[in-house]
Amino acid sequence: MLLEVRDLHVEFHTRDGVAKAVNGVNYGVDAGETLAVLGESGSGKSVTAQTIMGILDVPPGRITAGEILFEGRDLLKLKEDERRKVRGAEMAMIFQDALSSLNPVLTVGDQLGEMFTVHRGMSRKDARAKAVELMDRVRIPAARERVKQYPHQFSGGMRQRIMIAMAMALEPKLIIADEPTTALDVTVQAQVMDLLAELQRELHMGLILITHDLGVVADVADKIAVMYAGRIVETAPVHDIYKAPAHPYTRGLLESIPRLDQKGQELYAIKGLPPNLTRIPPGCAFHPRCPMAQDVCRTDVPPLYDVTESDAERGSACHFWRECLHG
Amino acid sequence: MAETTEPILEVRGLVKHYPLTSGILFKKQVGAVKAVDGVDFELARGETLGIVGESGCGKSTVAKMLVNLEKPTAGEIRYKGEDITRLSGKALKAVRRNIQMVFQDPYTSLNPRMTVGDIIGEAYDIHPEVAPKGDRRRRVQQLLDVVGLNPEYINRYPHQFSGGQRQRIGIARGLALRPEIIVADEPVSALDVSVQAQVINLMGRLQDEFDLSYIFIAHDLSIVRHISDRVGVMYLGRIVETGRDAEIYDHPTHPYTQALLSAVPVPDPQAREHRERIILAGDVPSPTNIPSGCRFRTRCWKARERCALEVPALAVPAEFRSVSGPAAHDSACHFAEEKQVVPPEGEGEGESGGGGSGPG
Amino acid sequence: MPDQEPYEPERAIAGTGMGGTMDLGASEAVTLEQPPGPDGADPRDKPRSLWSDAWHDLRRNPVFIISALVILFLIVISLWPSLIASGSPLKCDLAKAQEGSQAGHPFGFNGQGCDVYTRTVYGARTSVAVGILATLGVAVLGSVLGGLAGFFGGAGDAILSRITDVFFAIPVVLGGLVLLSVITSNTIWPVIGFIVLLGWPQISRIARGSVITAKQNDYVQAARALGASNSRLLLRHIAPNAVAPVIVVATIALGTYISLEATLSFLGVGLKPPSVSWGIDISSAAPYVRNAPHALLWPSGALAITVLAFIMLGDAVRDALDPKLR
Repeated sequence: MLLEVRDLHVEFHTRDGVAKAVNGVNYGVDAGETLAVLGESGSGKSVTAQTIMGILDVPPGRITAGEILFEGRDLLKLKEDERRKVRGAEMAMIFQDALSSLNPVLTVGDQLGEMFTVHRGMSRKDARAKAVELMDRVRIPAARERVKQYPHQFSGGMRQRIMIAMAMALEPKLIIADEPTTALDVTVQAQVMDLLAELQRELHMGLILITHDLGVVADVADKIAVMYAGRIVETAPVHDIYKAPAHPYTRGLLESIPRLDQKGQELYAIKGLPPNLTRIPPGCAFHPRCPMAQDVCRTDVPPLYDVTESDAERGSACHFWRECLHG
Repeated sequence: MAETTEPILEVRGLVKHYPLTSGILFKKQVGAVKAVDGVDFELARGETLGIVGESGCGKSTVAKMLVNLEKPTAGEIRYKGEDITRLSGKALKAVRRNIQMVFQDPYTSLNPRMTVGDIIGEAYDIHPEVAPKGDRRRRVQQLLDVVGLNPEYINRYPHQFSGGQRQRIGIARGLALRPEIIVADEPVSALDVSVQAQVINLMGRLQDEFDLSYIFIAHDLSIVRHISDRVGVMYLGRIVETGRDAEIYDHPTHPYTQALLSAVPVPDPQAREHRERIILAGDVPSPTNIPSGCRFRTRCWKARERCALEVPALAVPAEFRSVSGPAAHDSACHFAEEKQVVPPEGEGEGESGGGGSGPG
Repeated sequence: MPDQEPYEPERAIAGTGMGGTMDLGASEAVTLEQPPGPDGADPRDKPRSLWSDAWHDLRRNPVFIISALVILFLIVISLWPSLIASGSPLKCDLAKAQEGSQAGHPFGFNGQGCDVYTRTVYGARTSVAVGILATLGVAVLGSVLGGLAGFFGGAGDAILSRITDVFFAIPVVLGGLVLLSVITSNTIWPVIGFIVLLGWPQISRIARGSVITAKQNDYVQAARALGASNSRLLLRHIAPNAVAPVIVVATIALGTYISLEATLSFLGVGLKPPSVSWGIDISSAAPYVRNAPHALLWPSGALAITVLAFIMLGDAVRDALDPKLR
């Protein structure tokens, strides 16, 4: 396993109490594999990613338990300067908002080149040449001229390509992409997603794709982890989850999205609201919204049951996963 | 369906150009952002017209002009036959009662310093003739109930609610004056996935209950299909294809619509594999510098010389004029051609056969 | 529609009227994924306006408490200086000139033999009056002009922006020396007038920017779509949401106006004896600083503490009104 997150817990201290953002998350990615982490806002998917990258704001955040094993080393035990060497060179992150992630007063070439001058000790001239090479690689037309331009002179899709180029610059082993196409138009989304997938294959990297969009996931992921209220509620290979979800939350999500090829009268809607993280319901956090909830759901926190039926590993944190899977 | 009667709203040749100026005190015009560049459509009573397009295509500007937040540069917006773009004062205020808007971002569309009751009740302060003073509080509570919120929340502030609940408040505000038309600009795109369906269902229910006509603007083609009776596809300030939902989704003839449909991520990896994907080159051109002829030609794989010279009209293309199938709908392309992009699976009630071209 | 009944009990469990401050918008959601999501509404929670939230924050901020107590004390002694000082600030005895601390005269005497303690207490009145009145004038003039310019835009806005630029180019002390030296009145009004004249462009700029920001909010558009008049938009929707930066900057500026008054009086163009002002006392003590440093230290110290208190108050208010700025 390239990266393994074990029993991670993260809290935030807020005026209204302790918000439990991540409550025992386990997942792993292999080299060359794509894991999609699916969840709504407040599910803990981004906080987990920030913790892996070591860019969580502490305080207000606090890591209360867990391990993050990257090639066997626990990143949480590293000192800050050792951690910094891992960041950028061995793992990199792509954010949703490319415009605010790029420095508006530096040219794109300077920002790309900085990766090489800082981490690789290259001269400015060599770094500039590398920058052009990278821009070519993410298929930005006329890279040699555009390398001197500033971020605002690029369109949204082009800026996201620059972010990808920056993340790929040092050929890291792991890329974390947090909603990389959410801010883009549909016709551009496809281009950017394809590029990301292609570069990942080429460089044989691990990719963690964080998203709220079930559609995006279907395209590129190998396996999916669905998060709700800071926990993983279901993990499965991508094909299985769409065919037969094993958790009522996943099922509700799949049924509630309108389909391009269907026109129905009323959409299925998951009732209620995502929980407040300072007051996560006892037992299964999803029970107040769950159509299948029984008494046991209100009291007992469901473990991630092994629900493997064929050869591919699957897990579901539902006491009634059998009913959900087959009902 | 009341489609045979006169449309409740009719838009003709709608144009909005924002001048680009230079100079500090003495400004001179150096160009124009052509946000909306000649849009026509009509809306029947009780109908939902969906408008889809990518960001920057002008769909939000159309919405703003419909509710009179922007004055059109040219063109007419006829509400029950009367052009409302030239109205002002009392007459404008009266029309505003009947066309209301629901905004995209529930976090910025509610005044954070006002209580929910004041936000919804403000409509009655501005239009006192709608509700007598003593009755307003009761009406606001009724509206809260209608949109599925606890009427006791009337004294709370917006930040005490979640996104989905705030959008319900925004919808209640839009309903306060009992309008006939609601213009909804991306009403669910800022909401969590599991809450989007609730809000869409609510809008569907309210349409029946209050006999509303909707203009539903979104970039999400799946949601637009779900809620719309007819759909218009916008590109760079113009509608390039329009028709009933099944005509657009199952029998698109404009290459842009086809590309847009093929790019929509489908939450089903198997359906995905049977689909052909059209990946467009490049980005949308700048609205200050619109390509000559067909504005889509710079990204179109079918573009030929004629496309640079001649602006295609939004009409039923010649090759489909003789047939009466679902492919015979308005499409602004010189080389319109049917292409099925969405595999005809599922219940697809809109399916009416016809067509003729297989997948891919 | 089984999923649509209003307010099912589940919703009460789900939501809990969360951390309502103005940072809980989309901005925070990006970085923290909204851990303290503003998840709606627990019936137990009372309606909480942003003002009451800010007040809730302020009450727990030690910086605010300390600076507010200092300011309260200053206001009380400038209204009733006789509460803590029994003598008259103008009763001086040359025989005691430059004498140090002694019984009944804890701060000693200055070069003219006046009691430093009494003069320092009485000097607060000038400082507080100049500070508060000048700030009021600046805030009213600046926010009205800036607010209207920001709201209506156009030629008026362009002209106002150029005028403020011109005012920013005037060096404050030099301007004071020139303008105030021709005025003979020995009251606080010329000083206040001068500060308002030079101070309004700063507030006007801030008010203009903050009105322009508030104007673009969708709720202003929403009210306009309902048919709201311009005055309703300005008073009900824009002003309450644009006023916070003005309050913060005005509070901080208040401290600097107090020190500006002292500076002008020190230079002899503000208040002149027999008025009592910290600036005058600092000026008159300066020549004897080697022999009688106490005569300089006490008024200077009082001035520094007062200015600091207002600046700290402004900081605390800013933190409470807009936690994003921290």
